[in-house]
Amino acid sequence: MVYTRRMVPPLVATKLFVPAPRPSAVPRPRLIARLDAGLHRTLTLVAAPAGFGKTTLVSAWVAHLRLPILDFGLGTPEEPSTQNPQSIIQNRVAWLSLDAGDNDPARFLAYLVAAFQTIAPTIGEGVLAVLQAPHLPPPEVILTALLNELTALPNPCILVLDDYHVIDAAPVDHALAFLVEHLPPQMHLVMVTREDPPLPLARLRARGQLTELRAADLRFTPAEAAAFLNSAMGLQLSAEAIAALEDRTEGWIAGLQLAALSLQGHQDVPGFIRAFAGDHRYIVDYLVAEVLQRQPAPLRSFLLQTAILDRLNGPLCDAVTDFGLPISDFGFENQTPQNPKLKVQNSQMLLEQLERGNFFVVPLDDQRQWYRYHHLFADVLAAHLRAEQPDQVATLHRRASAWYAQHGASSDAIHHALAAEDFARAADLVELAVPAMSRRRQGATLLGWLTALPSAVIRARPVLSVTYAHLLLDGGEIAGVEAHLQDAEWWLDTPADRRVQSDAPAAAMVVMDEEALRRLPGAIAVARAGLALARGDVAATVTYARRVLDLVPTDDHLSRGGAAGFLGLAAWTSGDLATAHRAYAEGMADLQVAGNIADTIGGAITLADIRMAQGRLREAMRIYARGLQLAAEQGAPILHTADLSVGMSAIHAEQNDLDAATQHLRTSQAFGERTGFPPNRSRWCVAMARIRQTQGDLDGALDLLDEAERRYVRTFAPNVRPVAALKTRVWVVQGKVGDALGWVRDQGLSVEDALSYLHEFTHITVARVLMARAQGGHNQSMREAIGLLERLLHAAEAGERTGSVIEILLLQALAHQTRGDIPAALGPLSRALALAEPEGYVRLFVDEGPPMAALLGRRQDAGGRMQPYATQLLAAFVQDTGTWGHGDTATAVQAHVPVSPPPHIPMSLAEPLSQRELAVLRLLKTELSGPEIARALVIGLSTVRTYTKSIYGKLNVNTRRAAVKRAEALGLI
Amino acid sequence: MHTIHTATSDQDEPGRYEIRLKGQLEARWADWFAGLSITWEDSGETLLTGPVADQAALHGLLRKVRDLGLPLVSVRRIEPEPAQRPDDNP
Repeated sequence: MVYTRRMVPPLVATKLFVPAPRPSAVPRPRLIARLDAGLHRTLTLVAAPAGFGKTTLVSAWVAHLRLPILDFGLGTPEEPSTQNPQSIIQNRVAWLSLDAGDNDPARFLAYLVAAFQTIAPTIGEGVLAVLQAPHLPPPEVILTALLNELTALPNPCILVLDDYHVIDAAPVDHALAFLVEHLPPQMHLVMVTREDPPLPLARLRARGQLTELRAADLRFTPAEAAAFLNSAMGLQLSAEAIAALEDRTEGWIAGLQLAALSLQGHQDVPGFIRAFAGDHRYIVDYLVAEVLQRQPAPLRSFLLQTAILDRLNGPLCDAVTDFGLPISDFGFENQTPQNPKLKVQNSQMLLEQLERGNFFVVPLDDQRQWYRYHHLFADVLAAHLRAEQPDQVATLHRRASAWYAQHGASSDAIHHALAAEDFARAADLVELAVPAMSRRRQGATLLGWLTALPSAVIRARPVLSVTYAHLLLDGGEIAGVEAHLQDAEWWLDTPADRRVQSDAPAAAMVVMDEEALRRLPGAIAVARAGLALARGDVAATVTYARRVLDLVPTDDHLSRGGAAGFLGLAAWTSGDLATAHRAYAEGMADLQVAGNIADTIGGAITLADIRMAQGRLREAMRIYARGLQLAAEQGAPILHTADLSVGMSAIHAEQNDLDAATQHLRTSQAFGERTGFPPNRSRWCVAMARIRQTQGDLDGALDLLDEAERRYVRTFAPNVRPVAALKTRVWVVQGKVGDALGWVRDQGLSVEDALSYLHEFTHITVARVLMARAQGGHNQSMREAIGLLERLLHAAEAGERTGSVIEILLLQALAHQTRGDIPAALGPLSRALALAEPEGYVRLFVDEGPPMAALLGRRQDAGGRMQPYATQLLAAFVQDTGTWGHGDTATAVQAHVPVSPPPHIPMSLAEPLSQRELAVLRLLKTELSGPEIARALVIGLSTVRTYTKSIYGKLNVNTRRAAVKRAEALGLI
Repeated sequence: MHTIHTATSDQDEPGRYEIRLKGQLEARWADWFAGLSITWEDSGETLLTGPVADQAALHGLLRKVRDLGLPLVSVRRIEPEPAQRPDDNP
């Protein structure tokens, strides 16, 4: 499955159109020069109220940049002789005119990419693929990917965001702030807005990264006003008259333009100017009334009736306005077509006339097809319309809605239906738009429409009710989901002849999309399965997911994939790993067929996690490798790719290949930085903590685990290895038994707890804490630990969770060893070795430290032969030692001598313990006898005694038990 | 008076506001400004007065002021007049 441009939302090209400069515009060289100078900085902000000529200025500047001398001061322009000069710069200005719909981050980003594609056609292909993912990643993630591509562009380029003030959605504002913060050096941003954007403007100013053009800069100087009124608008006003107008309007360009329109053909110019100058009314109120009053009635009516439209084109205006008068009545006699009796229905001509007459009409394309009114002018016209023809407003919106619906522009059709407060029509249109909007991941827009509809209208429509439920579930708002599902089910479950009005969600059911209605039971079940899993109700998840598979057709791969995935996650949560893997793998296969590559790759992580729990490290590694290959085949960065490397790191770490483990984490991080698709930070930190711990940096490991805990993001996958338990395990290694016991107490954990897979890792951790406590002489704890381990072993074996089984067996072996029952310890050890060997486990053994090494040594002695796997493990113990730079590796292997990592030497100890003394001390902590210690360390008994005496002296104690206690208190063991 | 008064403690409560603009705005804009009453001051300023549902509604009104390009002089929360119901515009 390859993503194609075809799947991109249909973009309204007018939004990307670089406005053509007006031939009649007043040249403004001083402002053009400031914009030119600003190219050296990051951001140009053109901020002023409506009507200050912001867009006109910036479009004139862009046109000026198209002149052959194109040195931006940033880089070398292409060779002018080989390129049409116009196309050179044209190809370097991306223009995006924003509107209120761009508050949907998905839509904003899609248009942003489309704008960039006007300067680099292939840019952002991968980003568009990600925009198809069901769960939009944070905009920052997408922008980073886009910025990386922009950085690679050979030439300087400019992005213009016009009308940024329409944005009031925090996610889009954050995306913009991120864009500004990370703008590549060859890229310049121009923002045109009526209000300052939420950016750190003071900091940008202080760093010299900001150029500002504000109202004071933009207002017309007297000379510019004169040029505008007399040249551009063709008036012949005296200097005195110009000064009076300039004074009254304070150089406000829209005011001057309205004044000029009022003056065109006016009989008494001095009288008009006197009256205007002496009036205190809002200039626009005063002048628009003047201008409208001077227009022929049909044109006046046209202006008012079309004021409800965001964009104008001939056929649309024909449909919305209601006149059928001869062209000649419009006062454009000199432009009358051949047939003067032609009834109007020719708004196109009228629009062209208005544009030529400087009538606040702005062309939106080269073909003169689409126009818009200047926003301010449209607002005033609309106010006049509401005041003069209040009953007409809804009718006009309804007509606009009908025209847009006929022309397949459902968003605009819905917008106008909502504006007409024709909610039934709006709801009908929304229902028909759901499939396309869902495909484009514009859930925010869809949700906005549904929120705007009255509840009664939605409750009558089962398809919309279920859509609403899915959108709420996707947004994590699970509270409202159930009610919408029940509304829909009522219609589905109650036969038409049995519907009692008082029970019904609405008077009658309305269905626009029959196909969606047929699929509704399946869609309801998908929502219920997700809702149940979010609530942790495994049984209900399974029930509803199975229902989905019964209900939806075999070719609905997306629903089936989702349902199978839910089944897999439910089985995983309850510890049935074989079922979990089978169901989840089926689900991923379906999603892949459905083209949802991002989730297919993300699913590899879950599959590998399940395999790890089954103790199948090698299969988990193969899954990660396949995932990486699939991601590479996409040819574009994909979410979750960096997580695959994190997973591989964990397996290498377990197999004691720390170099490879570290390398994979570096790769993951670098991939994230390069592509903007970073790994799940919590998982990354856990993997790195594991490496730190192996290297003996326990405090560093704890810091990383703290971060992992903070960054943990809850997903549908069960949290089977909670970070808190991982931290407790580090405390145990550090000898912080008190902290570890505190965790057990705070979590309300007990050896009596009923066991479930969800808490298996936690309970094994409890057993470790109890065993650590038993080392301090708390014999009751050891008995409790052994009992708990026995129960855990049965449960893990029943669920075929080999990863847990191996760990539990090792703990059992150590428990027996601590009690001095070596033969009992060797049984579980042998079983653990048999299970672990094929998968190459190492750290699970080696992390247990010297007692495990001693035990492995004993096993060899008993068998009389060196088992290769055991040798490999012992070598790993020694390798740990070698890492710390102590001892002779060859000798150590031969002697099976475990030597521990260097302890943290506490300041309170006057004379630190040597490595050898520490090794002895660690064995003093066990229940090994003196001769057994001597044998474990392959030294003479007298040497052990010498060390022991020295240890006692340094610790200032007289007994073995006191030495252990003191050493623990000092954090030595 | 160039101050913007806000009462954070009851920001989600409906309240009466008085928005003062420079210039005289015609009465036809009352509908545009969500039914606020429009009165002219002798100073040549316009007062938009009336109930505002909450802070979001207030910011929406200020955006509309911005979009007209009329200079904003002040925004003030005012106590409801005892004899007057909040939804009763003069």
